[in-house]
Amino acid sequence: MAGTARIGVDVGGTFTDLVLHDPARDLVHTGKLLTTPDDPSEAIIEGTLRVLQEAGLTPADLHSIVHGTTLVTNTVIERTGAKVGLLTTAGFRDSIEIAKEIRYDLYDLFLEAPPTLVPRHLRREIPERLDVHGTTLLPLDEEAVAREATALVAEGCEALAIGFLHSYRDARHELRAREVVRALFPDLAITLSAEVAPEIREFERTSTACANAYVQPRMKKYLDKLEADLARIGFDGRLYVMLSGGGIAAVREAKEFPIRLIESGPAAGAMAAAFLAKLAGLDRVVSYDMGGTTAKMCLVEDGAPDHKFDFEAGRVRRFVKGSGLPLKVSVVDMIEIGAGGGSIARIEPGSGLMKVGPRSAGAKPGPVCYGRGGTEPCVTDADLMLGRLDARYFLGGEMALDGGLVQRAFATGVAEKLGVTALDAALGVQRIVDETMAAATRMHLAEKGRDPRGYTLIAFGGAGPVHAWNLARLLKIERMLVPLGAGVASALGFLVAPPATDMVRSYVARLERLDFGHVNALFAAMAAEGRKLLEEAGADPATLVFKPAADMRHVGQGFEIPVPLPGLEIGAADLPALQEAFFTSYLKTFGRVVRDTPIEALTWRLAVSAPGLDIRIGAATLAPASLAPRGQRSVTFEGHGTLEVPVYDRYALRPGMEFAGPALVEERESTCVVGPGARCHVDAHLNLVVELNG
Amino acid sequence: MDEGFDAITLEIYWSRLISIADEAAAALLRTAFSTIVRESNDFGTVLMDVNGDSISENTGGIASFSCILPRTTKHFLAKFPAESWQPGDCVITNDPWLATGHLPDITAVSPIFHKGRLVGFSGSIAHSPDVGGSLWSADCREVFEEGIRIPPTRLIRAGVRNQEILDFFLANVRVPDQVSGDLEAQITANEVCAARVDEFLGDTGLSDLQGLSRALQARADLAMRRAISAVPDGVYRATLDADGFEPDVTHIVVAVTVAGESMVIDFEGTSKQIDRGINCVMNYTHAYSVYPVKCALDPFTPRNEGSYRAIEVRAPEGSILNPRFPAAVGSRQLTGHLLAGAIYKALAAVIPKQVIAECGGAPTMRCLFSGQDQHGDRFSQVLFASGGMGAAPHKDGMATTAFPTNAGAGSIEAFENVAPLVVWSKQLRPDSGGPGQFRGGMGQEAVIEVRSPGPLRLSLISDRRDHPAQGVLGGKPGAAAEIVFSDGTRPHPKSRTTIEPGMKLHMRYAGGGGYGPPSARDPAALAADIRDGYVTDAAAYQGDA
Repeated sequence: MAGTARIGVDVGGTFTDLVLHDPARDLVHTGKLLTTPDDPSEAIIEGTLRVLQEAGLTPADLHSIVHGTTLVTNTVIERTGAKVGLLTTAGFRDSIEIAKEIRYDLYDLFLEAPPTLVPRHLRREIPERLDVHGTTLLPLDEEAVAREATALVAEGCEALAIGFLHSYRDARHELRAREVVRALFPDLAITLSAEVAPEIREFERTSTACANAYVQPRMKKYLDKLEADLARIGFDGRLYVMLSGGGIAAVREAKEFPIRLIESGPAAGAMAAAFLAKLAGLDRVVSYDMGGTTAKMCLVEDGAPDHKFDFEAGRVRRFVKGSGLPLKVSVVDMIEIGAGGGSIARIEPGSGLMKVGPRSAGAKPGPVCYGRGGTEPCVTDADLMLGRLDARYFLGGEMALDGGLVQRAFATGVAEKLGVTALDAALGVQRIVDETMAAATRMHLAEKGRDPRGYTLIAFGGAGPVHAWNLARLLKIERMLVPLGAGVASALGFLVAPPATDMVRSYVARLERLDFGHVNALFAAMAAEGRKLLEEAGADPATLVFKPAADMRHVGQGFEIPVPLPGLEIGAADLPALQEAFFTSYLKTFGRVVRDTPIEALTWRLAVSAPGLDIRIGAATLAPASLAPRGQRSVTFEGHGTLEVPVYDRYALRPGMEFAGPALVEERESTCVVGPGARCHVDAHLNLVVELNG
Repeated sequence: MDEGFDAITLEIYWSRLISIADEAAAALLRTAFSTIVRESNDFGTVLMDVNGDSISENTGGIASFSCILPRTTKHFLAKFPAESWQPGDCVITNDPWLATGHLPDITAVSPIFHKGRLVGFSGSIAHSPDVGGSLWSADCREVFEEGIRIPPTRLIRAGVRNQEILDFFLANVRVPDQVSGDLEAQITANEVCAARVDEFLGDTGLSDLQGLSRALQARADLAMRRAISAVPDGVYRATLDADGFEPDVTHIVVAVTVAGESMVIDFEGTSKQIDRGINCVMNYTHAYSVYPVKCALDPFTPRNEGSYRAIEVRAPEGSILNPRFPAAVGSRQLTGHLLAGAIYKALAAVIPKQVIAECGGAPTMRCLFSGQDQHGDRFSQVLFASGGMGAAPHKDGMATTAFPTNAGAGSIEAFENVAPLVVWSKQLRPDSGGPGQFRGGMGQEAVIEVRSPGPLRLSLISDRRDHPAQGVLGGKPGAAAEIVFSDGTRPHPKSRTTIEPGMKLHMRYAGGGGYGPPSARDPAALAADIRDGYVTDAAAYQGDA
């Protein structure tokens, strides 16, 4: 069998990031190279060989590779997926186009609906119908299935989705339709809505089936090639993929249900934060990852990121809820807002006030200070002008920033129109972007009935530590934690994520009318499927943890809440316990309980996971220990004016060291701002821990 | 103008106050009991200053609500003067004339105190699951039939609930648990807003909201005035007809006068009020007149009391757009939703690139089923579905989407789980989008079969049977609405009837009007429409005859 080292690979739009960890040698090594969009596996192979060589290892020393990719999400955004045909229940071929009938922007008369992944002429109706109990109202017309599938293949469809009404309750018509099609076209990729997302609500379920079919041919081809390429260089360990829910899975699951990879990359950041939280013994954490284009926040409680079971892909407007295609998949529940280093400041013509983002200067032309032709001032420009960044030490000095250009851009771009100085305009950009992030975080927590006070902010991403202190201050958060290597910390998530999967089935009934035999059969099927998936992923069956839950509500309500269940087998004797569990969850979510109204369950869920890996973050790149600042810089703080601030070298700090704000701590990919009145100490894991009211 | 606030601080404070209203809305959504608030979006939250002028409102929700809430608050202040309010108060009403135009909407307003001083009000409106009376319908003769009417009442005084009033109210509704659950959610939302404003004032060191409120209103006012002054001066007229209630067609007459940076929208000449539930009170008329103007002229500036200061709306007293008490008003949306189309029709001549054609989903078409299911449990379900939007100057209208309201639609699988009904189809209606250079949005057809053990009650609330959505600038009308039983009979579109098991109801929702002449349609777009079955006959589409 293979060796002990593991590699996490994140294929992003611009860069492919790699992180190698070898517990046997207590070694962490990172690498970064340009993504090869035509064939992403090229950069993976090249990067893998490079980090192995730099670490003095060979492919045979690898235990496993964990892979995260934006290929699925980009395929949906760029609409470069397969030509898909859809078979639906007669009368319902337009469900995916009619959608929820909501305008996602109240004031835009010209708003665009997200285009469907399957145009209407490729959506074909099949006479068949089950009712809510799975009883046949109209038998499946198998001839129609054969005829329409043949027509769709003749039209050039490369994949087929099948979405029949009430198939979450009974999949037999979908299963039979697949058999009919398979007999005719044995190699055609077919996605059943009842397999990819067996949940009630036909639009969302069918939309998920279409999206899975849409990305499947491209993902399968890509993963086949990656496996072959890795074998060619002598890799004989396990290849895993990162699922949107933060678990890792074997490649077979990714080929069958590639839509589960839709949030593969972002999930890693949340898993990294969860790992850091556990390591630091923090049970209530807001994870905050700010990069060039966006900021992402996620609630991490008791060492695990929050989950949700729906996601929107391919939005018409990236940051507007309701403007995308709904998917029923398990994802880490995070918010993403258009606030990053590249977010552009502009003056709104109507009100005459300044806005920051969501438009971003991206990598090209980038912020003004990059000197690559950008003329509109961005958040990074403001950070530079306010002294938070060092023009000579950006990316460890690899890239010189141009402060003069920035000064002029602020003076002529926004300051003049607002009637303020360039420095005040820059401070305004920072205040506005931080307020935007604070408002979004407050809302995200408020929707879950949480208050940010009492939480710790874990900040990473290139811009995260630059803005974390001010964000924490605005949220009245008293403590923040910044890991070493904050700029690449999210890649850690690939190495610590456990094999895990989430199963789901819908069956709607009032609690007192539940058919327990049916419920137990659902759980038995889910447990068997989960066990199989995780064993494929190399998990030890003895270590698997099963967490059953149900989505319940009062009869008459339009929304459900997740309620944990006592076990995989329940019976009538458990009824009082089920009710109490519902009331407990209800109270936690809504702050009150309504006792006399009947309760119903809609959807049954089973989370299956194996233990994750613990890794020690190596200290390979440290400089000699020293608490002596390596310099001083003028930094402008809101309400404090411009102060002379010591600059510490992150790599010279050691556990137990302590200093007072205001201060800056610089490392290669980021700078941590410690504001006036705060105290910072270095914990045993080399994290910076900042107490705001030190 | 900015009351001493610099432009950056103003932007930050404005965003913060909007997010406070949004947080109140999140609290309402999270704690509301009924489906109507959550699934059909029928609610709103507003933060007001000490005069009852709105400073900020929640971002989603129903646009008309936030426009009306400050007017209701001013009625409250007339009855309960500012100095009489105490921390922990909550005043409610559902009076159509003081509030949102029909009884099911409950308005709740609470005072905001900071350091012991009254600094503003937090308000919320939500469509209650029931208010007694006739169920939701369009055919009542007087408001008294439509449910219980609550005058402005202190439901909570200094933190103490008036249980007698609450019991009185709940004794008059069909689903008291749901009604009281939603009311509690509104109270919670108001409390969240009040607590956040108190915190905001503490954080910023401001002693009250008045200076900030004036500055923000001035900014919103300025933005709207700039937008209006870009419209050439003149008087722009239009008329528009709808089915109304026979023998009376609803005849809307509008004159939009633009003079410099202000606008007057006058409905002189519009139909008289009628003894059926489609009268639209002045508050609702005002809200549904200014909202489409904002969409067309100034869609990006956040809204507050200043936004509409430049616009005056007039409607003759005793008309269907300004009815006298005790007119029936239960389905005032059947009239109020028409106003956007009339105003855009008037403005199409002068700002053709900023308006859309008439919408098939204005007014909304609803069918409400109630009765007993196979378990003997009572149910009452509305099928939410919309017609198509009118076409735009550069794109086709959105299919099956409501404008000017924004009620969504739910899942058919979920619908069948809560009602003894089977929906045999819910799909786009071919050829329903009004032909034009740009096509009106498609309507849809739903076929619903009754499968209950006994007969059910059916209430229909619709228009556009005889008056489809018109096109603009040469665009053709969309398909009219149709309601047909499986035996071929056609029920009255505004009626309450009994429907037997086994009967199927075909609901055909209207399409939007087209924009520009159909002869100017891009041949490739027409070919794509033919391929996808949105249009079945190219010659008929282009035939201008």
